[in-house]
Amino acid sequence: MGTFIQLVFDGLSTGSIYAALALAIVLVNQATGLINFAQGGMAVLSAYIAWQFTQWGLPLILAILAAVVVSFAFGALVERWLMRRFERGDPDTAVVVTIGLLTLITGFCAWLWSYNNRLFPSLFPLETVDIFGAAVSVRSIGTIAVLIAIMLLLQLLFIGTKLGLALRAVAINPQSAAFSGLPVGRLLMVGWGLAAVLGALAGVLVAPSLTLTPGMMDGALVYALAAVILGGLSSPIGVVVAAWLIGILENLAAVYVPFIGHDLKIAVPFILIFVVLIVRPQGLFGRKVVVRV
Amino acid sequence: MSSAASLVQKPWVRWASLAVLVVLLLVIPLLFDATTNATLARIGVFAVAVLGLNVVMGYTGQVSLGQIFFLGLGAYVTAYGVSQDWNIVLVFILACLIPAVAGLLIALAAARLGGLAIAMVTIALPIVGVPLAKRLSEFTGGSQGVSAQFSDAPDWSGLADDQWQLYLVILIGGITFLLTRNLVHGKYGRAFAIVKGNEAVASSMGISPYRYKVLAFTVASLIGGVSGFLYMVVIQYTSPETMSFAHSIQLLASMVIGGAGSILGSVLGGAYYVLVPQLTNIIDPNLTALLQGAILLLVLFVLPGGLVSLPRLWRRRRGKGSGTSPSPLPAPTSEDTVSIALGSRGSTPPPPTPPTESEERQDT
Repeated sequence: MGTFIQLVFDGLSTGSIYAALALAIVLVNQATGLINFAQGGMAVLSAYIAWQFTQWGLPLILAILAAVVVSFAFGALVERWLMRRFERGDPDTAVVVTIGLLTLITGFCAWLWSYNNRLFPSLFPLETVDIFGAAVSVRSIGTIAVLIAIMLLLQLLFIGTKLGLALRAVAINPQSAAFSGLPVGRLLMVGWGLAAVLGALAGVLVAPSLTLTPGMMDGALVYALAAVILGGLSSPIGVVVAAWLIGILENLAAVYVPFIGHDLKIAVPFILIFVVLIVRPQGLFGRKVVVRV
Repeated sequence: MSSAASLVQKPWVRWASLAVLVVLLLVIPLLFDATTNATLARIGVFAVAVLGLNVVMGYTGQVSLGQIFFLGLGAYVTAYGVSQDWNIVLVFILACLIPAVAGLLIALAAARLGGLAIAMVTIALPIVGVPLAKRLSEFTGGSQGVSAQFSDAPDWSGLADDQWQLYLVILIGGITFLLTRNLVHGKYGRAFAIVKGNEAVASSMGISPYRYKVLAFTVASLIGGVSGFLYMVVIQYTSPETMSFAHSIQLLASMVIGGAGSILGSVLGGAYYVLVPQLTNIIDPNLTALLQGAILLLVLFVLPGGLVSLPRLWRRRRGKGSGTSPSPLPAPTSEDTVSIALGSRGSTPPPPTPPTESEERQDT
């Protein structure tokens, strides 16, 4: 039983990281209708920036905050100077652009910081606490707490502020939003910036356990996309629940299903997806999209 | 310009250029040294792989990030078959069929979700494929990989190994290209183009987008299997690294840079895939990934039709001044890129576009 609870907590913790990345993908998708395959790469870049700040002697928490600010600016700039050209065109092209961006960022990180693993200091102490007889690491609990805080803040932003209202208006109908005087372009930049911030948090949360490498988030990106498919693109809550579900299930499968083990646990979300796609193509929580001709 | 275009239209010019091409392909393996032949053979292998990706992505408009998985699967099937001493023809058929069946099963589920779901699901193929290949070590040799030597030149041919291998690639690759060309120019190609252009229109014309997406994906997987077989012919060794995520992305970049929705573009893509990493490695191995990403983005910005649209773009610039408004599409769905693609080639076929245009190209 102890192992089981421990696995569930660890699963929730890794699931929270996938959830942060998945929320970033949903945010971009809601605003611009694109899937940003570079979201993971951008998160790695943010983690490297935070690492660089710590190397320059900044305390970890300040380094992370600084990286968050830089990430916001970077996300906004990517929207303005790269993606805007492709937003109105064919979504397939835009996807290829984000893949080009992913290659570019990964290549940039590899060039500047090399492919060698870098140790990233953990935000949380390495101790464990006893919960129902299971030793759960403080890092897991901290990661889950950060994700819940992110969700509350996002909810507050989107429901409680004028900026959130404007962002929602742009997401629902950019043209009407523009007609009512909203600066659509700048709001899209804010949306991409926020997504980059979410990615940055995912990056600095996952970096201590994976160690920092340019391809660190490739796996996490796949999990996040799986969560996005399972939860449905239109439902942030669904995506978070799906990410947690994936995190827990893959952890349990790795230990209790001998064939899967730790190396093949990445297949778990996709087995799940196959089942869900056949039974419920719009995702667990998504709405069916109706296209007007 | 118009005289050149009308010259190209004449049937005898087309037949003559085709004959020249065939003769060239037959002679090339005899002309060069072993290293060049090996490079050409590798270009052929990856041209076939890019062609497969083009069927699903360039022609049908479904982004697939997993094409390399089918190449790897075909290569492993070939290696296993050879190690079991099966008849090589049987091995070839299995190397085509097994990836095709795998592709069919994946597409049946992935194509149910519209839009970018295929991209989001297929990105998992290389990422799941690598650990899977390591795990199934009885078949795949684990991380060490497997090698299979079956493509040495037979004695009666009097050819060197590299020449024989290049001939095999030209023969099998050539047939694959020819069949694919016919596929995308016929009834199915038009259906693919409509599914790509507008799914609602396709449905209203009685063309089920779901079925044609599944079909395109299956054909792409089959061609991926062919390229996997050819990979073993030329390189004679495969490991899980063959189907890594980075290679998958590189394949997609090659397709876009060569020219999406174009047969000639697939060849150019194959050449890009093989040659450009060699070049960037000479400049600085640490910069390879950075340069590749930069090249891809640059092409998307300035040459959305890929390298294959270059001659037409150049002619247009000369003809009408700077009348180009590049549409942000790697593939010809908008009027603009269609016209780029239409005029850009002589003997190579343009991509399928609305039915009327395709029909008059039927007899080429």
